[in-house]
Amino acid sequence: MDIESLLPTLLGLAWLLPLASFVVILFAGPRLGSHGKGAAGVATAAIVGSFVLSLFAFISWVAQHPVRAVEHGEHAEHGAAHASADPAHASADAAHGSTDHADASHASGADHAAGHGTTHAAGHGEAGGHGGLPASYSGDWYTLYEGGRLKLSIGWYVDALTVLMFVMITFIATCIHVYASGYMHDELHDITDHEVHLADGGHLHRPGRFHRFFQALSLFCFSMLGIVIAGNLAMVFIFWELVGICSWFLIGFYYERKSASNAANKAFIVNRIGDFGMLIGLMALWGALGTLHFADATGPDGHVRPGLFTLVRPPVAGHAQWVPDGMVKFAAAEKVERVLLSHADDPRAGVEQVEAKVEDWRDEGYGRWLLLVAGLGIFCGCIGKSAQFPLFVWLPDAMEGPTPVSALVHSATMVAAGVYLTGRFYPVLTPDALLVIAYVGAMTLFIAATIALVANDIKRVLAYSTVSQLGYMMLALGVGGWLAGLFHLVTHAFFKSLLFLCSGSVIHACHTNDMRKMGGLAKAMPWTSGTMLVGCLAIIGAGVPFLDIGLSGYYSKDSILAQALLFARENPSHSILFYAVAGGAMLTAFYMFRLWFMTFAGRPRDHHVHEHAHESPPVMVYPLVALSILAVIAGWTLPGGFGIANMIEQARPAGTGGLELGGLLFSAFTVPAEHSSHAHDIHVTASLTAFATAATGVLLAAAMYVWGIIPPAMVASAVKPLYTFLANRWYFDEIYRFLFVLPVLGISRLVSGTDKGIIDRFIEGVAWGAKQVAGFDAWIDRTLIDGLVNSTASATYGAGIELKKLQTGQLRQYVMFIALGTVAIFVLAGLLFRSSFAG
Amino acid sequence: MGIAPTLAVTQPAFWPLTLILFLPAIVAGILALPIIPRGKDDSVRWVGLATTIAVFILSLWMAVPAIFGAGSPGQFAVGDAGMQAVVKQPWIPAFHIEYLLGVDGISMPLVLLTTFLSVLAAAASWPIEKHVRPYWILFLLLETGMIGVFVSLDFFLFYVFWEVMLLPMYFLIGIWGGPRREYAAIKFFLYTLAGSVLMLLAILMLYFASDVRTLSDDQLLATHVVSPVLEGADRAAALTAVHSAPKPIHTFNLLALAAIGQSPASPFAATSFWGMTLESWAFLLLLIGFVIKVPVVPVHTWLPDAHVEAPTPISMILAGVLLKLGGYGILRICYPICPGAGLSFAWLVCGLGVVSMVYGAFAALAQKDFKRMVAYSSVSHMGYVMLGLGVWSAVAGHEYQWDAWAQGVNGAMFQMLAHGISSAGMFFMVGVLYDRVHHRNLEEFGGIFNRMPLYASLAVAIFFAGLGLPGLCGFIGEVLVTLSSWNYSRLLAVCSAFTVILTAAYILWAIQRVYLGAEYKGPHGDHLTPMTRRELAIAVPLVVLAIVFGVAPQLIFNYITPTVNRQVETLAEWTRSIHDGHPAAAGAAAAATDEGSVGFQAAIDSFSVGGGR
Repeated sequence: MDIESLLPTLLGLAWLLPLASFVVILFAGPRLGSHGKGAAGVATAAIVGSFVLSLFAFISWVAQHPVRAVEHGEHAEHGAAHASADPAHASADAAHGSTDHADASHASGADHAAGHGTTHAAGHGEAGGHGGLPASYSGDWYTLYEGGRLKLSIGWYVDALTVLMFVMITFIATCIHVYASGYMHDELHDITDHEVHLADGGHLHRPGRFHRFFQALSLFCFSMLGIVIAGNLAMVFIFWELVGICSWFLIGFYYERKSASNAANKAFIVNRIGDFGMLIGLMALWGALGTLHFADATGPDGHVRPGLFTLVRPPVAGHAQWVPDGMVKFAAAEKVERVLLSHADDPRAGVEQVEAKVEDWRDEGYGRWLLLVAGLGIFCGCIGKSAQFPLFVWLPDAMEGPTPVSALVHSATMVAAGVYLTGRFYPVLTPDALLVIAYVGAMTLFIAATIALVANDIKRVLAYSTVSQLGYMMLALGVGGWLAGLFHLVTHAFFKSLLFLCSGSVIHACHTNDMRKMGGLAKAMPWTSGTMLVGCLAIIGAGVPFLDIGLSGYYSKDSILAQALLFARENPSHSILFYAVAGGAMLTAFYMFRLWFMTFAGRPRDHHVHEHAHESPPVMVYPLVALSILAVIAGWTLPGGFGIANMIEQARPAGTGGLELGGLLFSAFTVPAEHSSHAHDIHVTASLTAFATAATGVLLAAAMYVWGIIPPAMVASAVKPLYTFLANRWYFDEIYRFLFVLPVLGISRLVSGTDKGIIDRFIEGVAWGAKQVAGFDAWIDRTLIDGLVNSTASATYGAGIELKKLQTGQLRQYVMFIALGTVAIFVLAGLLFRSSFAG
Repeated sequence: MGIAPTLAVTQPAFWPLTLILFLPAIVAGILALPIIPRGKDDSVRWVGLATTIAVFILSLWMAVPAIFGAGSPGQFAVGDAGMQAVVKQPWIPAFHIEYLLGVDGISMPLVLLTTFLSVLAAAASWPIEKHVRPYWILFLLLETGMIGVFVSLDFFLFYVFWEVMLLPMYFLIGIWGGPRREYAAIKFFLYTLAGSVLMLLAILMLYFASDVRTLSDDQLLATHVVSPVLEGADRAAALTAVHSAPKPIHTFNLLALAAIGQSPASPFAATSFWGMTLESWAFLLLLIGFVIKVPVVPVHTWLPDAHVEAPTPISMILAGVLLKLGGYGILRICYPICPGAGLSFAWLVCGLGVVSMVYGAFAALAQKDFKRMVAYSSVSHMGYVMLGLGVWSAVAGHEYQWDAWAQGVNGAMFQMLAHGISSAGMFFMVGVLYDRVHHRNLEEFGGIFNRMPLYASLAVAIFFAGLGLPGLCGFIGEVLVTLSSWNYSRLLAVCSAFTVILTAAYILWAIQRVYLGAEYKGPHGDHLTPMTRRELAIAVPLVVLAIVFGVAPQLIFNYITPTVNRQVETLAEWTRSIHDGHPAAAGAAAAATDEGSVGFQAAIDSFSVGGGR
C-alpha cells in the first residue's frame, strides 16, 4: 500500500473506531459488565486502537517525509522552532516558487480504492520548505450533495499537522479514558447527588450512568478527529457542530443540576453565535468560489478542480495571496453583467472579455472585502469554539462537567479546534484578518488572566488559564507566528490536560473545588502534587534561557514571544501586542503558582478536608505520569531535527513564510516572516523577557501564599474596587444579559404578542367578510363549473356555519355525507371514463 | 371490464397509482356502511391501520423498485428526471378536465412521505375513543386528499383534492380537538378557504388564457395533451384535431400550462390588467393560496391554534404533510407556469421565507405551551423552504449560475422531507407526554429523562433533528438553503444564518425545561409510565429515518435532484434568453421576442420530454 492510500485508511479507521464504540455502548450500555462497567473497556479499547493506528500513520509519515531541521540557518541545532534564519532567503524563495513549485505540486494521485485522492509533494525536498506547497494528501470518501459544479462531501486532508494532531488527541484521550474509568467510579452504583435539592428537602438519588459517560466521550473523540481529518470546510462545520453537541452532553452530564444544564445550554448557544459568523464565512466562500475543499481535487475525469488554498494563493502568483477570480467577479457583478450584455450576440466573446478584465478588477480592489469577510467569518466560529473574547464566557461555566471532560474537551482538544482551524485556514486569512485575530487574542489572554488571578475554584482557575492560553495561540497566529501558535497548541494540550487531571485528582480526594479549603496536600498526595508542579512549570514556560533547555512550554511560549516582539518592532504602533504577551506571561506564572501553593503548600486550612485527602488510585495516577513526561519533552528537538516543531513546519502553508502587507481595515502594516523571529537578538530578548516575567510571577505568588510577606487579604482590600471587578469576572455575564439575553426575550414576547394581539384580531375582524367570500366561492363554482364541485362547496359552506349542530348528534350523518359524497364524485368520474372509452 | 387489460398495457401505472390514491377513500366508504357492527371500535381501527399499511406498501412498491426486485413497468425509475407513471383518462370532456396523474422526482418522495406518515399517524390514533368510526372515515379521506394533490397533473383535479383534504381536516380538528377546537377549526377553515378562493380564481384565469394549439406536436405529446400512448394514425389524427380546432382549446393540464407559460409568446404574459400581467396575477394569487398552507408570516396564525387543539395524529399529519403542499404547489405550479412572475417576485418569496424563519424562531422562544412552541418551530423551518425555492440568483448572460438556485431548490425539497420526519416526530413526542399528564405547560415539566429514559432519548434525538444538528435530517436542507441564499441577497443570507442561534436557543431551552432537571414539577406525575410498544413502533422509525436521511442524504437526492435540476436549468435558460434580449425589465416576459433565444426551444422541449414511460 503506498502512502497516499495508507494514510487516509489508517487515519480513517482511527477516526471511525470511537464511533463504533459509541454505537456499541449506545445499544449495549448497561449490559456491558456489571452496571455497565465494561463500557469503559469498550471505549478505552477503541481509543487505544485509534492511538495505535495514528501512531502507525505517524511512523509511515515520518518514514516518507523525514522530519529534520530546515537546512539553511545556523540555529537549527537549537531545537524548537529554528527553521530558518534568513528572511531574505525566505522571501526570495516565496517569489521564485511561482515557477518551481507550480508543476511539482500538481502530481495528482492515481485512482485509489478509497476515492479520488490528490497528492501534493512538497517542492523543496520533504522537510517542509517555505514557499512551496506542503506535502499533503487529500480526497473524498463520500458525497452529501452534488449539483452542477457544487459538491459537498466528506473527505480527508492529511498533512504533517493532521497526523500530529491525531497522535496528540488520541494519546491524551487514551490517558483520559483510563483516568476516567477510575474517576467516574461512583457512577457505577446508585448515587446521591448532594448538589441537587429536591422540593421535599431531600437530595436526589439516582442510578449511576457510567456507560453514558463513556458513550458521550466516544462520540466526542469521533467528532473531534473528524474536524482534524476534514478535507473541506463543510465537513469541518459538520463535526464542529457535533463536538458542540458532545460538549453539551458532557457539560450537562449531571443534568439534574440546574447549573449544569444552564452551563450546557450556554456553551452551545454561545458557540452557535460564533457559528453564525462561520456560516457567513462559508457562504462568502461557497457563493463566490463554489468550493470549500482545502486542496485541489482531481475528479473522476482527471480534471483538476482547484481548492481554496490554490485559489487564494495560486502557484502563478508565487503562492502570494490574491483575491480569487470568483470573488473578484462576484464583487464586480455589475461590471460583469455590463460586459456580457454588450456581447449578447456572441456570448463566448463576452465570457472571454470578462476573463480578460478580471485582472484589472482585482487590481482595482474588487473582492478584497469579500475575502476579508470570509476570513473573519470563519474566524468567528473559532472565537466561539476556542472561547475567545467576546465569546469566552461559556468556557468557565463548562467546568460543571466531570473533570476528565474538562481535561479532554474543554482544554486539550475541542477548544483547541478553533486554533487548529485558524491554522488550517491560514492561507485564506488576509493580513487585516490576521491583525484582528491578534487583537482578539491579546484581549482574551489579558482578560482571562486577570480573572484567573482572583478565582478560588481550582477548576475555574484552570479554565481561565485555558482561555488565556488560547488567546496566546490566537495572538501568535495573528502576528504571523503560524508555527508558534500551533506548536503552543500541541504543548499546551499536554500540560493543560495534565493540570486538569491533577485538579481532578485533588477534587476526588477533597470533595471540593474550593482552594481556600485546601492547602498542605503535598504530603498526602505526592504524585498528584509532583505531576502538577511539572504542569505548572510547563505552562509558565520554565527553562534556562542561555542553554535553551526547558519544559515543553518554554519552547512554544518563547517562539510566541519572539514573533510578537518581531511584529512589534516592525510595526511600533502595534507594540501593545508584545506587552500583552509579556504581561500575560507574568500573570500566568502568578496564578498558576498561586494555585499550586494554595493547594499543596503551607498548612492545611480545613482539617476535615485534609484528613480525608489521599492519593488517587493507580489507574488515575498512571495517566498523570504519562502526561507529565510529555509535558516535559513535547517541545524538545532531537539531534538531527526530529521534533514536534519541525514536524509542524512540514505543514506550513505555501506562501505564508514571506512578508505580507496589510491595510484594508488598518493603516498599512507588515506581517513579518516567522523565520525572521529566530534571529539571535530577537530570540535572546524574547527568552530573557519570558524568564524574567515568569520568575517575577512565581516569586510574587510565593511571597503572597508561601512566605506570607504580602498577605493576599491586604492586597485585596487595598485595591478593593479592582478586586471586586475581577472577582465578578468583569461583569461580562451581567452585561451580556442586559445587552443580548433580555432584548432577545423581549423581542420574542413582542413577536408572540403581535400574533395574538394584532394578526389574530385582524383575522377575527375579517371573519365576517371571509364568510361572504365563502359564499362567493360557492357562487363561482355553481355558475362556472357544471355543478360537480357543488356538493363539496356547499358542504364546505354549510359546515362552516353549522358547526354547532354537528356537536349535537348529527355528526354521524354529516361525516357519512361527506364520505359518500366524495366517493360518489369519483364513482361518477369512473363511470365517465367507461363511457368515453366505449364511445 | 374489457378496458382493464388495455389500460394495464398502455398505462401500466393506472392501477397502482389509482389504488394508492383511492384505496383509503374506498375503505372510508366501506366503513361508512354498516358492515362492521356498532361497538367494534377496535375492528375499525385495525381496518384503518391495515389500509394505510397497504397503501404504504403499494407506494413503496412503486417508489423503491430496488426493494421488490427488477422494475416492472408501473414502477418509478429513480434518477429519471421526467414525469413518469402518467395516467390519463378523460373526465369532464366539455371542459377538458382529465383524470391525469403522474409522479416525478419531486412528487414521488412526497407521496411516500405521506403514505408513511399516514401509517404512523394511524398507529398514533389508537387512543382516540370519541366517535371512532367517523374519525377513521375522515382520516382515510384525508389521506386520499393528500395523495391526490401530489399526483394530480390536472389543475382542476388538483383543486378538487385540495378541497377534499381541507374538509376532513376541518372536522378532525373541530370535533376531536382540544378545548378551543371550534375556534381553531374555524380559523383554519377561513384561512384555507381564503387561499382556495384565490387559487380558484388563478386557475380559471390560466385556464381561459391557455390554448394548447400553440404547442408543437412534440410538446403536445410530451405534456400528454395528446397521449403518447397513441400510435400511428391515431396519433396523427389526434394531433391534427388539436391543430385544426377552430376555437382555442383551453386546458387544465399542468404540464401543458407550463409549456405554454414558458413559450416565447406566452399568452399569460401577453395579457395584462390593472398594470400587471395575467402571469403576475396568477402567480400572486396562487402564491397566497400556497403560502397560507406553508404557512408564512403573516398568514400563519392558524397553525399554532390548529396544532394546539388538534389531536396528536392530526398534528403529525398537519405538520408532516399538509404544510408541504404549499411548498409543493409553489414548486410544481407557480414557477413553471409563471416563470416571468417567478423571477420578478423572487424577492417576495425569499423575503417571506426569511421573515418566517426569524419571526417563527422568536415566537417559538416565547411560548409556554410545548405544542405551540413546536408549531412555531414549523413556521421557522418552513421558512427555509420558501427561501430555498426563491433564490433565483440571476446575473445576465452566460455568468448565470443555475446551480446555486438548484442547490436552493434541492435544499428546500430536502427540508420539506426532513421536516416531515422531524416535525411529525416532535408533535408525536409532545403527544406522548400529553397522553400521560394532560398538560403541555413547559414550566411544569422537568426530570422526564430520569422518569422515562428511553422516551426522553428518542425525543431528544428528534428535537436535535429539528435543531439542525449534522448527522440528522434537519441539517442538510438548512445548510444547502442557507449557503445558496448568499448569491441572491447578502442581507437575507445573514438573517437566515442568524436563525441558527435562535433555533438552538428555543430547542435547547425546551429540552432543558422538559427533559432535564431533577424532578417532575407538574400534575399527574405518577402517570409518567414508560413508552408502550405501540408508541415505540411510531417513534423508532421516525428517529431511524431522521438519522438515515441525515447520514445518507443521497437516498433522497437520488430522487429529487434530477427533476429539480432540470426544472431549474430550464427556467434558468429561459431567464437568460429573456435577460439577454431585454436586460432592463427582468420580469417583463411580456415583451420577450425570439431574439437571443437560440436553444430555447430545445430547452422547453427537454423540460417536458420524458413523460410516460
